Amino acid sequence: MNRSFKFILIICMLLVVIGASACIDEEAKGTAEGAESGENSQELVVGIGTDVSNWYLDTFAAGDARFVWAQVYETLVRLDSDLNIIPGLAESWETPDDGKTWIFHLRKNVTFHDGTPFNADSVIFSYSNQSYVRQAVLKPVQSVEAIDNYTVKFVLAKPMPLPYYLTHVAWPVMGPGCLDEAGNFVKPIGTGPFRFETQTKDQEVVLTRNEAYWGEKSLLDKVIFKVIPEAATRVIALETGEVDMIIKVPEYDVKRLETEEGIQIHRKLTTFTDFLQFNCDDSPFNDTGVRQSVAYAIDTETLVNEVLEGIGEPAGGRPYSPVMMYSDPDLETYSQDLEKAKALLEEAGWKDSDGDGIRDKDGKPLHVSLIVSKGVWAARHNPMAQVVQGTLREIGMDIEIQVLDEGAISKLESTGDFGMILRSGYFVWGPYPKHFFVHHSASPYSHYHNETYDQLVNAADTTVDAQEQEELYHSLQTFVIEEVPAFYLVHEEKVVATGPSVKGYTISSEDPWLNLSGVYLERE
Amino acid sequence: MWEYIAKRLAMVSVVIAGVTLVAFSAMYLAPGDPAEVIALARYGEDLSASQIETLRETEGLDAPVHMQYLIWLGHLLRLDFGKSLVTSEDVLAEIFQKLPATVELAIASLLISLLIALPAGILGALRKNTLLDSSCMFVSLVGVSIPNFWLGLLLIWLFALTLRIFPSFGYGSLKHFVLPALTLGSSMAAVTARLTRASLLEVLGQEYIVAARARGLDERTVLFRHALKNALLPVVTFAGMQFGYLLGGAVIVESIFSWPGIGKLLVDSIFARDFSMIQGCVLFIAVLFSFSSLVVDILYAVLDPRIRYDRSD
Repeated sequence: MNRSFKFILIICMLLVVIGASACIDEEAKGTAEGAESGENSQELVVGIGTDVSNWYLDTFAAGDARFVWAQVYETLVRLDSDLNIIPGLAESWETPDDGKTWIFHLRKNVTFHDGTPFNADSVIFSYSNQSYVRQAVLKPVQSVEAIDNYTVKFVLAKPMPLPYYLTHVAWPVMGPGCLDEAGNFVKPIGTGPFRFETQTKDQEVVLTRNEAYWGEKSLLDKVIFKVIPEAATRVIALETGEVDMIIKVPEYDVKRLETEEGIQIHRKLTTFTDFLQFNCDDSPFNDTGVRQSVAYAIDTETLVNEVLEGIGEPAGGRPYSPVMMYSDPDLETYSQDLEKAKALLEEAGWKDSDGDGIRDKDGKPLHVSLIVSKGVWAARHNPMAQVVQGTLREIGMDIEIQVLDEGAISKLESTGDFGMILRSGYFVWGPYPKHFFVHHSASPYSHYHNETYDQLVNAADTTVDAQEQEELYHSLQTFVIEEVPAFYLVHEEKVVATGPSVKGYTISSEDPWLNLSGVYLERE
Repeated sequence: MWEYIAKRLAMVSVVIAGVTLVAFSAMYLAPGDPAEVIALARYGEDLSASQIETLRETEGLDAPVHMQYLIWLGHLLRLDFGKSLVTSEDVLAEIFQKLPATVELAIASLLISLLIALPAGILGALRKNTLLDSSCMFVSLVGVSIPNFWLGLLLIWLFALTLRIFPSFGYGSLKHFVLPALTLGSSMAAVTARLTRASLLEVLGQEYIVAARARGLDERTVLFRHALKNALLPVVTFAGMQFGYLLGGAVIVESIFSWPGIGKLLVDSIFARDFSMIQGCVLFIAVLFSFSSLVVDILYAVLDPRIRYDRSD
């Protein structure tokens, strides 16, 4: 026996080992067909990007957790797929004093997953002083009291359109049974169409159908959320059938998947809008003219069509996506006008005195840093930033792109050490100016100080009259267009892809966009 | 021999002590105020300054740095690695949860790497400067140049999607090991192959090999009984170090294949500024690495008697 034979022998052994492992192991977990190949099994497998790291009301449901929470927990008030407000766990509500007090009438005969009844006590528990929602979102709430077993009263420090704040599943109603006697969190207990079954950290979360659900029972027996951090792997997992559905499809894969047999793409415009936040405290963006020149320079239509492959809608400076309540349909947005942009810069005193293509003023070149986040939700921001950089170079502004993680970005934001930051604007739907607070002088991270703006935002935050609200929000939008405290680039379109077995899914504009009612599977 | 081991153990302890200091201080050099970042994660964007300060106090982040270090060290000695600042779960428990997957992947990758590298390297040395040798070395060059994430995705596309043999992600059965281990193993294999080849060539040029052949031994005995044993010594050292490195987690492979390992745990904690978890992970990985290199050193001494007897002071 000579060496080459030995070598070939070893290689063959290696191949046999690999081949054997491919054939012998038939565990259902993670193999090619997703669920068991039983008779039309109703087990939906969904691919998400991060694990659910917390289930309790003391912190925000970070990452993709809220997609899982949306199946297990419910809110007092809900939005339908077209963002109309409808009753949830509260059947009706009223405000006897124009928004400072709100009375909610709770739905009867609803039980939590552990069999305990849903009533006023559970609402008080869910909106306790220690909860995330009271500490971070609903600070003006002074007290939550039970009037009787099925009536709850919220008392606020100032008038607010409270029901709209209660639609988000990140601050839902949780059953007090989720804690043990010592007060430690044990297991998620909600009222939703699915109950929590098991969780294998960083791998999967398994939910089973809630047979005692008060509403229309789900057609699915189980929902299994598989954690797949890498977007490309998620897409491949959908194509192999290992998962039935993925909730976020990268823009560059959409066209290809649309043509693939069996895969269905669902798209919907949402309330999220990407924007460029300016540092208005420092040169050059303390000059409104300079900000406006950026607005005239950037072509948001090309951004959507070229960088995002047509996914999304160009904003042209408009902060409110068309699906947002009170989005002004008559608002005049920016379209690209490079000459105007250059003229504005000239007017502001930025001229190219040394002929190097970069403008300068008082000896300082027009050099600006553009911060982009490293987070996985911001994958599209990088190419967008590069296009912005190229465009602004044409009008004589030199942009330096810095890609940083969130911690570093907040540090720069607090010290004001930046020119622009490219952000994803998470607008919670409703008549409240949560997002507009970003530019309010009182906001810790705002670098914009304008009294008119502050007054508008404050007024919008304290009125419950629909007519007044509409006027105020239209004024705010017009203000943002004219004064450009930030330039709004793209209204995001969410893309969900489902495999051939998934039927009955409708995508909604609401966040999170995973409403599984009516969804069922038809497996061959 | 025992003296040797005892001395190495002492060195390992010093190394670990040094690591605790470095791991601890490195965190405070990273940009971003830790209390602020954690508060942002917990309470969302609508932060107030008072919330940040409360958090700073409750988590003990307001004490002077050296005090925080000593307190932390004290806890460590009682094997209390603290709680994650993000999930409030026990740090050591979380690390141990991820440990099996990490170790298993490390072993699998090492095995695949050796299965590829040893035959390739040996053949390269024996058939020096032939087409076989050049192609083996070319493939090894390609292997070490290909970035992990690209190779991983390529393998997924080929074997999971096109050929449908292996799953594209996850952890749980033997099938799940193949693609991740292949990805990690290939780049390791590349270097190991070259090392094997070079080492074997050097040994084959030694006088005792000539003497063995002169004694009339056939090539097979010369190779396997005399040359290989000595040639593999540096390979063993290298493989041991690689194993230790793999125990630190291969974060890219873990992300691509959704492999629940320590590497991704560490990187995610860094982005979240979860200091207790970062310190716990770094320390744990350093300990694993130190012990694995200790084992390699001992193995080396076992395999090579010269090491055992030379260090006799």
